[in-house]
Amino acid sequence: MSSGAADYVPARTSGRLIAIVVALLIITNVVTAVGVYYASVPPKAGETITVIGPWAGSEMAKFLPVLDAFTNSTGIKVSYSIARQEDLKTILPVQFAAQRAPGDVIFMVSSFIKDQGPKGNVLDLTSVVDKTGYSAGALDPVTGTDGKIYGAVYTGKVKPGFWFRPSFFAAHSLSKPTNWTEFTNLLAQIKSIPGIVNPIVSGDGVGWPLSDVTEHFIATYGGASMHRNLTAGTQKWNGTAVHDLFASKIVPLLAAGDFSQPLTWDSTAINGWWNNQYALYFMGSWITGMTPPVDSADLDVFSLPTVSGVTPGVVFAADYFFIPKYTAKVDAAKQLLRFLASKDGQTVQVKQGGHLATVLGVATSAYPAVDAKVAQTLTGKEVLSDLDDTKGEPFQSNFWSQLKGLWTSPDPAGDLNSILDSIQSKA
Amino acid sequence: MGETGAVDRRGLRSLTALGKGRGGFRLAGLFGPRLRKGTLRTVFFAPALLLIVFLVVYPVLQTVYLSFISVTGAPTLGNYQDVLSDPETINPHLSWPPPLGTLLHNALWVAIHLPISLLFGLWLALILREVKGAWIVKSAIFLGMVTPMIVGGVILRFLFETGPGIVPSFFQALGIRSLGVSWLNYRETALLGLIFGSVWLWTGFSLIIYSAGLTTIPKDYFEAAKIDGTPPFRMFFRITLPLLKPMTLVIITMTLLWELKIFDIVYSAVGATGGTRGSVDVLSLQMFNYFVASKYNLAAAVATLLTLLTLVATAFLFRRMVKP
Repeated sequence: MSSGAADYVPARTSGRLIAIVVALLIITNVVTAVGVYYASVPPKAGETITVIGPWAGSEMAKFLPVLDAFTNSTGIKVSYSIARQEDLKTILPVQFAAQRAPGDVIFMVSSFIKDQGPKGNVLDLTSVVDKTGYSAGALDPVTGTDGKIYGAVYTGKVKPGFWFRPSFFAAHSLSKPTNWTEFTNLLAQIKSIPGIVNPIVSGDGVGWPLSDVTEHFIATYGGASMHRNLTAGTQKWNGTAVHDLFASKIVPLLAAGDFSQPLTWDSTAINGWWNNQYALYFMGSWITGMTPPVDSADLDVFSLPTVSGVTPGVVFAADYFFIPKYTAKVDAAKQLLRFLASKDGQTVQVKQGGHLATVLGVATSAYPAVDAKVAQTLTGKEVLSDLDDTKGEPFQSNFWSQLKGLWTSPDPAGDLNSILDSIQSKA
Repeated sequence: MGETGAVDRRGLRSLTALGKGRGGFRLAGLFGPRLRKGTLRTVFFAPALLLIVFLVVYPVLQTVYLSFISVTGAPTLGNYQDVLSDPETINPHLSWPPPLGTLLHNALWVAIHLPISLLFGLWLALILREVKGAWIVKSAIFLGMVTPMIVGGVILRFLFETGPGIVPSFFQALGIRSLGVSWLNYRETALLGLIFGSVWLWTGFSLIIYSAGLTTIPKDYFEAAKIDGTPPFRMFFRITLPLLKPMTLVIITMTLLWELKIFDIVYSAVGATGGTRGSVDVLSLQMFNYFVASKYNLAAAVATLLTLLTLVATAFLFRRMVKP
């Protein structure tokens, strides 16, 4: 074997190695470049655009006809993807930093759109959105500090009050309350009914169902002005007025066990309520579309009884949407945006139930009967924007987390001060 | 044959042999006679090294750098000061129920979850050792490890929720009202609920490692001890446990690393808020929330602290592992 060493003659020099490495580099670069080119090539007419929205299940089923109507009228196909807005808050900034967008039209909370617009991540829609189609101020939540409009308003939902089954009320001779005493008496009556766990079921998700019912108490007993001031940050959560409202209205109900512990809002809570383990459920008007288990023929709602001298408000939560700057399908996305913000588009949506139009001119006859009951709860009240959606982060998560603390506290009166202090710390 | 002989000692024989075929790819021709084994190693190692440098080393160094500068770019220790003085990290009002602060929550994970999952896995491995059909039970327990932790968190949420959850139902049946509630919503029970729930998900790991370890212990040792009249209790502490030491160190290391950087299970069970009033918040979630809030310097400081904690723990355990 040792003689072999002397015989060995290299067939080629190491220059070949370099040549092959260079060739490999060129090939991989060409393949990558071609791949990137075809992945980012602008869409042609008739191609599919992507909408990202928060609705799943029965809610999604009632949104898809709107997209179908758009496809029928324009020929542009639309793919719908579900994403929770809480998740989008973390996903979108990272995608934007990489100058990418996961969808062409995205439904998102107004505070996010308002924040991202002036940063250059959202398309300026000032010349696209028809301002005259909306009531005055409707686009304020998506108007940036630079005065440009960065989003449009889709339909909305009212958070009118406590939903109940008329059949249950009739079976137990219960009636809607007209003042606070009647309300507390109603809760006491319900509590005495066999099989009832708690009079009111508390929905739990990431935290918003508790914030909705809290906002209803604020808008009713603190009035529309307190709600607006807290949203604007001109009134303190740990001030006397807010503290007294919590201490006199919410805390006694919690201490008396009138509210249930927080339960998953779209499964455990809604099923328990529909099965008469709980009699009342505070929820937005989208509950009318949550079938099953809800049957809108056996559904009614009442707001908290108002008090004299206070102008009550009702929260109207509109769904906002925008076009990310990084979409390659701008024209198609703008067409869809115009449709969703139009009388025709929103008419298709309100016919499905559970939605109220934000654009002017949608005929009253387009609404299902149950939504007419919702409309009645608006009488004599000022319309308010959702408080925590408008304020955004870091307030919103903290607000939800602190309210859950209040709801689950063994001593809500004792913990109230520290909870309001904590809410104020991020207001 | 002679052509390959010279390079045999340098480990190139097979490579040159590849090049002998007519019309084949003459790989041998690529390497000159002076090409040393070391050079060849470098050539093959370079791509991996480059990837590690650009995808691991550079981001780590950049993160550490970011943690030592302010948002304006000035050097500072302020990020660490801000993080460590944040009540979210260490709650100055140390009292039960939580929040105690993310640092202490992570410490509680280590203090409770580690010993329970380790001992539970060992106990199961021992009692299932001689059982026929034990693989069925082991497989069922190991399913917890196979389940993605993000799914595990969702399972835990429903497991501990009043109504669908088996845990509150069990305590309600026993008449213990304080535990018959949705555990993850209550500050008193949320952290313990997640930790105990994770024991169920993680025990499969220690069970499998210990089961494998037990098969490596020669039966002669036990037979000899039996002949000598050694009681089973002493056999366990004098034979089984010492011989399982390498496995124990592996389990401790892996579990500790998992507990220090725990995120997914907490996030999917209670969301980014860290639970009711932050009662189950942990360091990784705190880092995530800083990041989402665009407080990148603070996020980098938490990441660096987390890396340091992990490095110290791992270095200590690795030293123990490699000691003869």
